[in-house]
Amino acid sequence: MKQEHTEKTGSWMLLAGFLKGSLHLFIYSMLCAGAVSFLDMLGPRVISFTVDSVIGDRPASLPAPLKAWADQGGITWLRGKPWRVAVIVAGIALAAAVFRFLFRYFNAVAAQQLVQTMRERLYRKIIGLPYSWHGRNAAGDIIQRCTSDVETIKVFVSEQLTSLVRVIVLIVLAMAFMWMIDPVMTAAASVYIPVIIGYSLFFYSRIGSAFEKADAQEGILSAIAQENLTGVRVVRAFGREEYERSRFEKQNEQYTGFWVRLMKILTINWVVGDLVTGLQYLLIICMGTAMCVRGRITAGQFIAFFSYNAMLTWPVRSLGRVISEMSKAGISLERLAYILKEPTEWETENALAETDVQGCNKDGKSSGPIKGDILFRNVSFTYPGSSVPAVRNVSFTVKEGTTVGILGGTGSGKTTLLLLLERVYPLQEGCGEITIGGKSIAQIPLDQLRRSIGIVDQEPFLFSRSLKENLRISAEDASDEELERCVKIADLQETIRSFPSGYDTFVGERGVTLSGGQKQRAAIARTLIRHCPVMIFDDSLSAVDSQTDERIRHALAKETKGATVFLVSHRVSTLRGADLILVMEEGRICEQGTHETLLEKGGMYAKIFRMQSENAARTAEKEYAGGKGENADEQ
Amino acid sequence: MNNKNESRSLPLFGIPRLFPFLKKYRAKIAFMILLGFLSSLIDTIYPLFNRYAIDHFVAEKTLDGIGVMVAVYLVILLLQVVINYRSMLDSGKVEMSMNRDLRNAAFSKIQMLSFSYFNQNSVGYIHARIMSDTGKIGEAVSWRMMDCVWNGAYILFAVFVMLAVDRVLAGWMLLLMAAAGVMIWFFQKALVVQNRQIREWNAKISADFNEGVTGARTIKLLGIEKRMDREFEEDTGNMRRTSVRAGRTSAQMISAVTLMSSIALAVVLWQGQILTREGLIRIGTLSVFMSYALGMIEPLQTIISNISAFIAIQVNIERFTRLLNEPAQVQDTPEVIRLYGDSFSPARENWEDIRGDVEFRDVTFRYPDGEENVLEHFDLKVPAGSNIAIVGETGAGKTTLVNLVCRFYEPTSGQVLIDGKDVRERSLLWLHSHLGYVLQSPHLFSGTVRENLQYGRPDATDEEIREALRIVHAQAAAERLGGLDGKIGEGGGSLSTGEKQLLSFARAILADPRLLILDEATSSVDTVTERAIQEAIKTVTMGRTSFVIAHRLSTIRDADLILVVEDGRIIEQGTHRELMDKRGAYYDYQRTR
Repeated sequence: MKQEHTEKTGSWMLLAGFLKGSLHLFIYSMLCAGAVSFLDMLGPRVISFTVDSVIGDRPASLPAPLKAWADQGGITWLRGKPWRVAVIVAGIALAAAVFRFLFRYFNAVAAQQLVQTMRERLYRKIIGLPYSWHGRNAAGDIIQRCTSDVETIKVFVSEQLTSLVRVIVLIVLAMAFMWMIDPVMTAAASVYIPVIIGYSLFFYSRIGSAFEKADAQEGILSAIAQENLTGVRVVRAFGREEYERSRFEKQNEQYTGFWVRLMKILTINWVVGDLVTGLQYLLIICMGTAMCVRGRITAGQFIAFFSYNAMLTWPVRSLGRVISEMSKAGISLERLAYILKEPTEWETENALAETDVQGCNKDGKSSGPIKGDILFRNVSFTYPGSSVPAVRNVSFTVKEGTTVGILGGTGSGKTTLLLLLERVYPLQEGCGEITIGGKSIAQIPLDQLRRSIGIVDQEPFLFSRSLKENLRISAEDASDEELERCVKIADLQETIRSFPSGYDTFVGERGVTLSGGQKQRAAIARTLIRHCPVMIFDDSLSAVDSQTDERIRHALAKETKGATVFLVSHRVSTLRGADLILVMEEGRICEQGTHETLLEKGGMYAKIFRMQSENAARTAEKEYAGGKGENADEQ
Repeated sequence: MNNKNESRSLPLFGIPRLFPFLKKYRAKIAFMILLGFLSSLIDTIYPLFNRYAIDHFVAEKTLDGIGVMVAVYLVILLLQVVINYRSMLDSGKVEMSMNRDLRNAAFSKIQMLSFSYFNQNSVGYIHARIMSDTGKIGEAVSWRMMDCVWNGAYILFAVFVMLAVDRVLAGWMLLLMAAAGVMIWFFQKALVVQNRQIREWNAKISADFNEGVTGARTIKLLGIEKRMDREFEEDTGNMRRTSVRAGRTSAQMISAVTLMSSIALAVVLWQGQILTREGLIRIGTLSVFMSYALGMIEPLQTIISNISAFIAIQVNIERFTRLLNEPAQVQDTPEVIRLYGDSFSPARENWEDIRGDVEFRDVTFRYPDGEENVLEHFDLKVPAGSNIAIVGETGAGKTTLVNLVCRFYEPTSGQVLIDGKDVRERSLLWLHSHLGYVLQSPHLFSGTVRENLQYGRPDATDEEIREALRIVHAQAAAERLGGLDGKIGEGGGSLSTGEKQLLSFARAILADPRLLILDEATSSVDTVTERAIQEAIKTVTMGRTSFVIAHRLSTIRDADLILVVEDGRIIEQGTHRELMDKRGAYYDYQRTR
């Protein structure tokens, strides 16, 4: 219980952080709002003065200097031409309009500044959070938090919180003016304020929890639709349309139910407000009438009092509204706090503080690429949430400038090993060490590390922008010639030529969909252009046909001379030229050596080699005996 | 996507297109409108109480009869509270029910649409049609409409009362209101444009977040956090500028409009003075006018902002109805549906058994958005139980053949026959129920291993599931996830591509299909496992008609027929031996391997 409380205040503290940079604008906005409220109050004063003293003939009830002016002919002057009063009212209105504009304008600027701050903090956090965090959280859910919860908070701050100040100013001013007319009636009129606040607080948690349920259910529904769309081929191929539809309709019905319940609570909340307000009006009419009849106040004062009272209605109802909206905003803040409370990679891993949030040195420049032998010593790793280790006690050394081939079964830990080298997953305490040039990777600034190692993923991700921008994404200053050279190595030039807009073709989710093989080749070009001293090709040609595969491998071998290269593949033909070949099984290195030594050893590698060359040999049977020999020349 | 024709205006904001959905709630909506009128009528009555009190009790200095007034007031108040409760609750129900119906309709429609639709529209675009357009439409037909009713009725009644009380003052009020209306309209026009820009930037920012989340790993590995952050800041900066511009316009509008209302007040005061001095109206009447002068501008503003919301919503209605009216390129004829049932209510009792003969008869095919024929006058007979392999370079059109067998697309001319009968003579679901399809980039659903494997056969027992996993050597992967109850995350989560391929292979085997299609099904599986599965594939494909697409030729050597595809044409066909003897493309292909 207590913990829950501190967590809640914690998320409201978060809001204070978001307000940095926009707080002063909100204050200007509130000051202008105060002025507007004051000028809005003047109107009814002028009306009551007109009704009583200009139209009627009662003595003016005005502050001293104005009263002196009124008594010394001011009233007669006003009576002379009826438009004179009208001009005064219009003048006040003009001043109010100017302040009202400023209030709204400052408010808009401040609100947008606030949203920008929130979004930028979230975005920076999200791209900085460790990859393991991304693995734990569904993409759709995070995106919903970053868009709709941010919106909820913005609406609350810009519409409710700023209006809170205005509301209080209005209430105080209206009450003060009302007090000047009649204290007893004012006291009676104000009775409903605590009533409205009271029942709003009563509804606070109910609205909050109903909203939370509806919000979460929306996430579920949205995820079903999303999955149905991304998996449309599977749905159709298995003929499961009916299942999908009934699943969606069931969740949809539940979602609708949650919202209807929330609406019901909101409706009751609102209607109770109507009732309380209506009763308060009645009270004022009766009391006012009675007092007029007894002569305690004038008809003009009654009208003025009544119009002040009408002005009180909106702010008091808003007060109730602020409370109910606050319960929604509180939940949204908690949902954002969930993202923001996690430390980013930069915060947790670089205890050396050599880099700032952006991953740069203090002097603003990235340090040069790292070089040297790469050493894995007794490295073990278990994925968070899994009980089976993915990598077990792995040790090996890679000399600078050599090529390592990694062969291993599906799920044997090849990719994990490479992700550990890139520090996408940090090594756990006491689970071995990875060093480059004698320096532990934990000591190397993350930015420098990742700039030095270029990796081509098996299922590459392309950004939704033009092909050219994608290829240049991590090497903005690469020349066009350099770009084309890398494209040629990746054997992508023909594909690009076949697109009507060539390099400017828009790819990614909202553009042309590339095939798996085209994506892999684009990713190769994207990595080559970075000229990293260490390059990793993680089964990067699995979706490419064998002829293209071979062309690319030849070009790559030339290009990567001098670089330390990791090659992951199922094809022995790809690996056989490597200086060191690691064979992995269930997270362990079961064999290592060169092609020749491994063949001699007659273990796993030799078995796989036999299987694959058997295939080739069977192909070659009789017709093509020399094929194998030619194959050996590769690499 | 289709930005060009989205700003087109529809008659009556496109509401008539929603009539089929509104029909169900006709009575409820009519009742809501009636209640809205009543509620507004009562609202216009309130100032009259004040006037009555001043003109009768205050002016005559008596409190006689005040009890009656209180009683009448209370009755009216209670009536209004009940009316408001009822109409707000009904609005909420109509809104949510409409949302639900529209979403269900959209989702069902999506289940019927053909693949060409999914190739032409991104997932995000279709998703927005199901989830966000429907919400906006539901809101429009309930709350926004009710807003117009409430406020419109209030203005109507107020004008009526004012005309009854004093024509000269009422004339002034109407004049000022007309002026305010024109002014608001002018501002709203600017706002509509600015709001559209805001929506565009908003969409961009959502897409940025999407990319930041789904591309997190790539961003890290490329070390481009700084660049992405900078670009994001550019987008949020643009968003802020656009929003501030719109904020300024609406600040101008609101202050100008309230200025108008104050001027109306001033005019009433000016004219009122003359009239009261001449004894033409009482002071109470003047106070009524002043409440209307203050109270009328806001309803006017609400109505106009709702009208501009209706203008904006036309786009959503247009897109939504376009989705519902989207013709499915591939769909069953009414006769077929009558006999076999549709995808949601199949008439399984009328389904014939399937043997698995497949025949292409003079098939010519062109993709709906393509310019060239992919197949021309293609003939092929595949007897039930044979094993067909399709080979060719990336993008050569291997998948096209498979798409036609699965009836994901239909031939432009000619026929695809199954068991000697045109596929179009039987229902889609009949065919798909006998189909097993394993893709190169497999899709797994979030849920447990069991749920995923049961996808093709919901009644499969745990024993059968384990057996399927064993056949494809995927027990280890399943074990690592925590057994059959282990959770598979979004899109396969922590599994490697190879493991995902194995699980989706197991899923297909479990469905026990007569037609099996393996589209690069094991491209990311290691050699040892693949070799082991090789035997399994042989057993599994035995007695079934199967189509295997592969780069790795070891998988296809034993096929009954090999088709070599190049540039969307079949350039060679025959058994392995025949093709090797021919020394053509297939032979060259094998050499380089």
